[in-house]
Amino acid sequence: MAVDLSRLRNIGISAHIDSGKTTLTERILFYCHKIHRMHEVKGKDGVGATMDSMELERERGITISSAATNVSWGDYTINIIDTPGHVDFTIEVERSLRVLDGAILVLCSVGGVQSQTISVDRQLKRYKVPCIAFVNKLDRTGADPLKVKSQLREKLGHNAVLMQLPIGLEHKHQGVIDLVAKEAVYFDGTQGETIRREAIPPELKAEADKARQEMLDAVSLFSDKLTEAVLEGRETPEMIIEAARRGTLAREMTPILLGSAYKNKGVQLLLDAVVRYLPDPSQVENIAYDLDHREKQTVLSSDPKADPVALAFKLEDGPYGQLTHIRVYQGTVRKGEELLNARSRNKLRVGRLVRMHADSMEEIEEASAGDIAALFGIECQSGDTFVKPGLNLAMSSIYVAEPVISLALFAAENKSADSMGKALRRFTKEDPTFRTYVDPESKQTIIQGMGELHLDVYIERMKREYNVAVTTGKPQVAYRESITLRTEFDYTHKKQTGGAGQFGRVIGSIEPNSEKPYQFVNEVRGGRIPREFIPACDKGFQASLKKGRLIGFPITGIKVTLTDGAAHEVDSSDLAFQAAAQGAFWQAYAKARPYALEPVMKLSVEGPVEFVGSVFASINQRRGIIVSSVEDGLFARVDAEVPLSEMFGYSTILRSLTQGKAEFTMEFLKYARVPAQVAEELIALYKDRLQKEQSK
Amino acid sequence: MVIEDLVKRSPLRILENSIHGGLGKGNIGVLASRKGVGKTACLVHIATDKLFQDKPVIHVSYSSRVDHIIRWYEDIYRELARRMDLEPDAEIHDELVRKRVIMNFNQEGTRTEQVLRSLEAMVQHGRFAAETIIVDGFSFPQSSPDDLRRFKEFAGRMQLELWFSASLKGPEPLFDEQGIPVELRSCLDHIDVLITLRHWNDRVQLRLIKDHGYTSPSELRLSLDPTTLLIAEP
Repeated sequence: MAVDLSRLRNIGISAHIDSGKTTLTERILFYCHKIHRMHEVKGKDGVGATMDSMELERERGITISSAATNVSWGDYTINIIDTPGHVDFTIEVERSLRVLDGAILVLCSVGGVQSQTISVDRQLKRYKVPCIAFVNKLDRTGADPLKVKSQLREKLGHNAVLMQLPIGLEHKHQGVIDLVAKEAVYFDGTQGETIRREAIPPELKAEADKARQEMLDAVSLFSDKLTEAVLEGRETPEMIIEAARRGTLAREMTPILLGSAYKNKGVQLLLDAVVRYLPDPSQVENIAYDLDHREKQTVLSSDPKADPVALAFKLEDGPYGQLTHIRVYQGTVRKGEELLNARSRNKLRVGRLVRMHADSMEEIEEASAGDIAALFGIECQSGDTFVKPGLNLAMSSIYVAEPVISLALFAAENKSADSMGKALRRFTKEDPTFRTYVDPESKQTIIQGMGELHLDVYIERMKREYNVAVTTGKPQVAYRESITLRTEFDYTHKKQTGGAGQFGRVIGSIEPNSEKPYQFVNEVRGGRIPREFIPACDKGFQASLKKGRLIGFPITGIKVTLTDGAAHEVDSSDLAFQAAAQGAFWQAYAKARPYALEPVMKLSVEGPVEFVGSVFASINQRRGIIVSSVEDGLFARVDAEVPLSEMFGYSTILRSLTQGKAEFTMEFLKYARVPAQVAEELIALYKDRLQKEQSK
Repeated sequence: MVIEDLVKRSPLRILENSIHGGLGKGNIGVLASRKGVGKTACLVHIATDKLFQDKPVIHVSYSSRVDHIIRWYEDIYRELARRMDLEPDAEIHDELVRKRVIMNFNQEGTRTEQVLRSLEAMVQHGRFAAETIIVDGFSFPQSSPDDLRRFKEFAGRMQLELWFSASLKGPEPLFDEQGIPVELRSCLDHIDVLITLRHWNDRVQLRLIKDHGYTSPSELRLSLDPTTLLIAEP
């Protein structure tokens, strides 16, 4: 059965850690009849909230994974996608924010807009996600929803509009006044499940009239029809809802809803607001990359009859094997149907298709555009796109950045080595920028990723989810080497120590190549090097690139041209030419003025303007180049380019510089030449290491 | 051609000669015209000329997004390099980028004091040794003469020169009999060099209205290249 898109919502719940996100999610599941009893976060029953499936998240109170759950509210279907509150975790954040069409921004009525609210709000802004605000915890001492409203306006720049007023605050909190319907709403029954609507209490009438007028003034900006109706005093709730929906979808207005999830108040009205004001999937433009046309952006159609396109946004290990959460963006994915993985080019058959609740599932036959579902037994990576064979679209770029930092990892106990391997296999599948290998020289397990925090999260998850205690080596930046000059080589490899000899001579040149990491050109004429040995030469050169002799890192940006050489009828072999190529390479490399390259990161720091000076200084001290700074009233964003090697521990430094009010994101930008002084240190370190190895 | 020649042969030397060797530290220069005549291009040209001379520049923008400004710089760099047969060199380009920083403010939400605080932080904490600051998109009608006075004080204290653009919006006549833009008369005292850009014989002509204390309008031997909007000899 195809889903009526207008009755579907894909939402995320974004919040500061202590604003009650998990309790709210739990209540939503309860009122939508998805669970039959409620737990509290870190509750006495030890069960914890249903959505927070990861142990680590329970403990830290943060959400890194993005499990999805499907609920029904009246005639509407709502998919709730658990969003990460962690801004540094780029791939994870990007994926979950792509999957949702709208969001509930949860705020604590006491704490109001806090630093993490600012960061989650920024994420929503960045991905242009329309949102509604829920001011929670009205039962707490010090609750002040009006203050939170002004903070939303002043600190976050939202056109925040109260759609409700509280009836009593703190321990006197009883319910809310619905300004759209002009009614007082109470939540009766032991779990607030019975809604009682009454006339507005006389003592709140004047305040409610005033707030309603303000709301109408704000909302009528989005509808001429409503403006006219208000002037004539004949506005209806439908007109108000329609106008507010328009404003919210355009991100020009943020409706505010009130309540206390813990005391079971206001959650049902919040669900009404989700369906009223947040977009359905057809109202959001989704872009895919056309792999046949250099990743040109293509707008997808939400038509269920179109060819299917779906994104695998999350993988989970379940008791029945790998579970792949998907969002369908176009067409319909049907059980038994064949699809193509746009990245790996592997075909797959849709076996079991399920709709997920946090810890239970429902078998379904099909999932169409806008829907969120999960597949069983599919071999894939997180971020892969499934399409109808013949289509060549991907939801995200298929180019994956090379890791820029690595760490040696040791299992603290021998017996946990297996679990460590299992965890690493899982993580590399989930995240293509996280890699692992065993170093052939040191025999150490090395993990690689896109930044310090990126690796930290996985080390932490290993401890929590797989119970593997690990120790780590010092983080190591992935330096590279390259050359400045074109130099020539003429090298003969010759060995005659009994038995079959070895002979190979290669002549040619190496030169800098900004186009490709490595290029091999064969210009040997007249069979001076027999054709069958040319691949061996290529192989020999490539083998040399693995470890340079300046600082001991891989060599990149090299073009090798082979022009001449010589062979021996008996003594020449693949092995001899490989050795000759390596000898030739090092002969030329030493003269080619090699230099060191380091990864440079694109750094973006965001925070209140009063800290720009400290941020500028912190970037300057790290050999960074400030590219721009943008100030908009109270907030500033500073963009810079900074060498990765200088960025270890930056999160701690920034936190202390800015009292925790600023945060940063960092991604790989390019490789750049290491300044002379730093290069000398790296060269000295390498020489030192070589000497130590030799003396062993 | 090498960079030194490019600098030496730049039409901006004519501008410098016309204003007693340049704007000078502690001073404020203003390029004024109606919208869309070419002020931003002129400012970016002036900035790029400084960058070629190894002098760092802070580009303050009140209106454009950072990526738009960067595009301006890229276009003008490419045009200058093409015109002067400068060898395309990634290192020269990267070196120029390193000496330039863009600061973007929202004039409605940011007071001049805050802008100056951030500029000072950039120079001192960011150790960005700028000599020239470009201020584009500053709305003179939205500001008070006091704002310009603060900029002038800042220029003096920090030993910097500041080049502004002024977008003239009012009804005709835009200029008084001396050629002074009517909108700028109230803050003329704080302006050291004032140049207007006006259409003349199918070209945009640069006219020097005020030169370090002297208000005696004269045509500069400079106009804007109609295709690239770069400052050029007629």
